[in-house]
Amino acid sequence: MSNLKTFTPLAWRNLWRNPRRTVITLIVVSVGLWSILFFNSFINAWGESGKEAVLKLLIGQGQIHAVGYMDDPSIDRLMSPPGEPLVSALNAPEIEAWATRLQLPGVVVSEYKTLPVNVVGVDPEAERLLSSIPDKVVEGRYLKGVEDDGVVLGLHIAERLKTGLGRRVILMSQSTDGSLSEQSFDVVGLFDADKATEDFYAFTGRRAAQNFVGLNDEIAQIVFTIPEVDMLDPIIADLAATAPDLDVRSWKQISLFLATTDTFMQSFIYIWLGVVFSLMAIGIVNTQLMAVFERTHEFGQLRALGMKPRQVLVLVALESTFLIGFGVLIGIVLAAGTIWTLTDGVDLSAFAEGLEMAQAGQILYPEYDIPGFVVLSLIIWVLGILVALWPARRASKLSPVEAMRHAT
Amino acid sequence: MTKPIVTCRGVSKTFGSGELVVHALRDVDLNIMQGDFATLAGPSGSGKTTLLNMIGALDKPSSGEVEIDGQPLSGLNKAELSELRLQKIGFVFQAYNLIPVLSAQENIEFVLQLQGVDAAERRKRALEVLAEVGLEGTGHRRPSALSGGQQQRVAVARALVSKPSIVLADEPTANLDSGTSAELVELMSQLNRDLGITFVIGTHDPSVIERSSRHIELLDGRISSDTRI
Repeated sequence: MSNLKTFTPLAWRNLWRNPRRTVITLIVVSVGLWSILFFNSFINAWGESGKEAVLKLLIGQGQIHAVGYMDDPSIDRLMSPPGEPLVSALNAPEIEAWATRLQLPGVVVSEYKTLPVNVVGVDPEAERLLSSIPDKVVEGRYLKGVEDDGVVLGLHIAERLKTGLGRRVILMSQSTDGSLSEQSFDVVGLFDADKATEDFYAFTGRRAAQNFVGLNDEIAQIVFTIPEVDMLDPIIADLAATAPDLDVRSWKQISLFLATTDTFMQSFIYIWLGVVFSLMAIGIVNTQLMAVFERTHEFGQLRALGMKPRQVLVLVALESTFLIGFGVLIGIVLAAGTIWTLTDGVDLSAFAEGLEMAQAGQILYPEYDIPGFVVLSLIIWVLGILVALWPARRASKLSPVEAMRHAT
Repeated sequence: MTKPIVTCRGVSKTFGSGELVVHALRDVDLNIMQGDFATLAGPSGSGKTTLLNMIGALDKPSSGEVEIDGQPLSGLNKAELSELRLQKIGFVFQAYNLIPVLSAQENIEFVLQLQGVDAAERRKRALEVLAEVGLEGTGHRRPSALSGGQQQRVAVARALVSKPSIVLADEPTANLDSGTSAELVELMSQLNRDLGITFVIGTHDPSVIERSSRHIELLDGRISSDTRI
């Protein structure tokens, strides 16, 4: 501790003996950290935007099905509408909105083409609270109620079917008695989402869908959204306890692709951190080795005056600690400033088509990731100090006589 | 009866190996007594600096033994040698070798900081020793703002402040003009006379040798003469 008190002012002043070198190192560290923190925030925004967009379309944050439905989503794996205990649980304040759906595999037939589709019977009022599909209707209208027997198709499938608003299509699916049900539906609306969603889903009123396949009030799923994503796991556990005979899943279990993408985004940050840090480490070691080499004579003199090898190590390590710590602070300020300037969103609508493929929103909203800032900054700081210990150790190993022979 | 501060017994130092071996010191026996104001002279390559390095615990002999204040150096590790230098030896170098980022006073206090002396005591002793070397009022200046003579006085003050058993000076006047050099020698001589500080000075400078109380001449790594004046 007394070493720190003795060497701290000396280490700080030593930093500024060669301002140009210090500034270069500061730039290397701060820009490196800035890139890590900013890209962390940007990639998180990207990931969140994509995740939110996908979850908001249809998946929600969680779903409840009959056991076995997820493996075989057929008419034989449906469930009754939620009973009182489950409705109470779903109406709890932790749950933002919920809706029941009937979803069955089927085909849609036009005069020109037959294509596979998932027929989704929805409760339009409830859907408006948790799904973005109603807002994505660009032609015609969304459904008016559970009895509405119009159909809302995606733009792309409508194009492929060569059909359109006001035309009729035939939906076919297996009915309760095992026969094939078919019924013509008016196309009342067309929605604009990503092509996969446009191609795979056709929406109609839930009651209309049930009538279409001969069901009473059975449903395929309950979808719900929550305002606090951190609360998802306990909510899932709560609902599972309330409805032990049903299959309650979070979005991570429903969309493995989305969950994997989420994990991959986080891994990418650490890969990026590794790459940037490797470059930074080369810069830090190089400049610190130069600093040590230039001051070889001085280290010999300090050893002659009575500084122990360990104290020389502490002195040089302190210099690195300050240098990298200062760089880290600048990097944090730069990253925070950059993110602050982008809080209104980064408009990527110019790349809309590519973003749609990547399932990301057109406007990204980078946010301060405080734990990420702290953890990533600490990693850079600690690793930087560890890397700089090599030159420090080299300085501490110098023999005073050999060091003082070194030209000043 | 004064006691020896430094004792060298059969000290030899060789550099290199095989046919390229250089004998810097050969079987040197020497006692530096408390209160000595000794000069160490000799032609280049005679072994002056090597002997000063041995006496200053900066280097270890290839054979023989060096004792400082009765403490044999051969058994000490690097950290113990550093501690011994810190407590018992003051150094004055030819090139002053002050720490450029510290003021004159801070340079002096630095040695005391290494010794763990508290801040108030450090300040008091640094100001006293600055006064002793005639540099009152200049303690706040960085070395770059001092003349060569002033820097060397600061170096002397730094060597003295820890109250060492011995002060070793290697060519302390080599970078100074004759006037400044005379002032520095007078200062060291006075400190020796008034405070009884032991000095061993490696030098070619006749003006320094003239003021010494003992003159040791080295030739080819051996003591060729050792004269008390």
